[in-house]
Amino acid sequence: MINETPRILSKLIACASLLVLAGCASAADPTAMSVSVQATDRPFPQPLQHAMCVRDVTGGEKTNPLWASKVDNEGFKAALNNSLGSTGLAAADDASCHYKIDVNLLGLSQPGMGFDMKVTSHVNYKVYDATGQAFVLETIDAPYTATVGDAFVGVERLKLANEGSIRVSIQMFFDKLRDSKPK
Amino acid sequence: MLTRILAPACALLLCACAAREVTPVAMAQPGDDALSCEAIHQQIADNSLAEAKYIKKDKAVADANVAKQVAGVIPIAGIAISASTDLSNVEQIQARALADRNERLTQLAKQKGCPT
Repeated sequence: MINETPRILSKLIACASLLVLAGCASAADPTAMSVSVQATDRPFPQPLQHAMCVRDVTGGEKTNPLWASKVDNEGFKAALNNSLGSTGLAAADDASCHYKIDVNLLGLSQPGMGFDMKVTSHVNYKVYDATGQAFVLETIDAPYTATVGDAFVGVERLKLANEGSIRVSIQMFFDKLRDSKPK
Repeated sequence: MLTRILAPACALLLCACAAREVTPVAMAQPGDDALSCEAIHQQIADNSLAEAKYIKKDKAVADANVAKQVAGVIPIAGIAISASTDLSNVEQIQARALADRNERLTQLAKQKGCPT
């Protein structure tokens, strides 16, 4: 009689490894959090164009692979920089940056589990002019729901919801910039 | 039989895990410019008190979450315990929002030349 134990054991290990890999959380992808200009978008005030840069991002969290997907400071900063670049707001260098942006990620409201996962990001955006005066101070709450159709695995669905929420937040911030009156 | 019991239980469990809603205090608020120095100082004091309470509560929630994750290894019941992990960050969001609001009020007091 052939001993089946090693074969069964290897199958069990393979299944366990797959489960662990599928269940590992990964950090939000900056590209997926970035926004690009749409044909229907209103223009930004002229003084802001090619004159903005991101100075500081705080409040983000590193992702623990055994816990839940999060958004870290570097990822948020990269996403905002990408978005400024693609919408024509980014300054070419530090010298031409007349409007500095500070971001405080207050936190992400995430569900513990669920089919449809709704994440709401709460972010404070602060924009300072060349004299150091704050001219935009906005607290933005941005919800986004990822469904089972977007991703079957829960940790991946949560990551998509995080990314979508930050994308919506940056879009809402840009809408505030469009309404602003910079000197 | 087991499936008939487990399926609705799982559905109930999954529906019950939505995050608690929170609306953080806005940094800048309508009427800020009209605030008197006394009102600004009062708001800063109230916010500092509330912030300290939220920080304390946040620590308690974080500790409870760690305990729930550890209890998650218990067969069957562990899933329910683990699913009740609170990732809404309500207290952290409120505390950080109040800190930013106070930063704004302090700046406003300086602009108005309020006594410290």
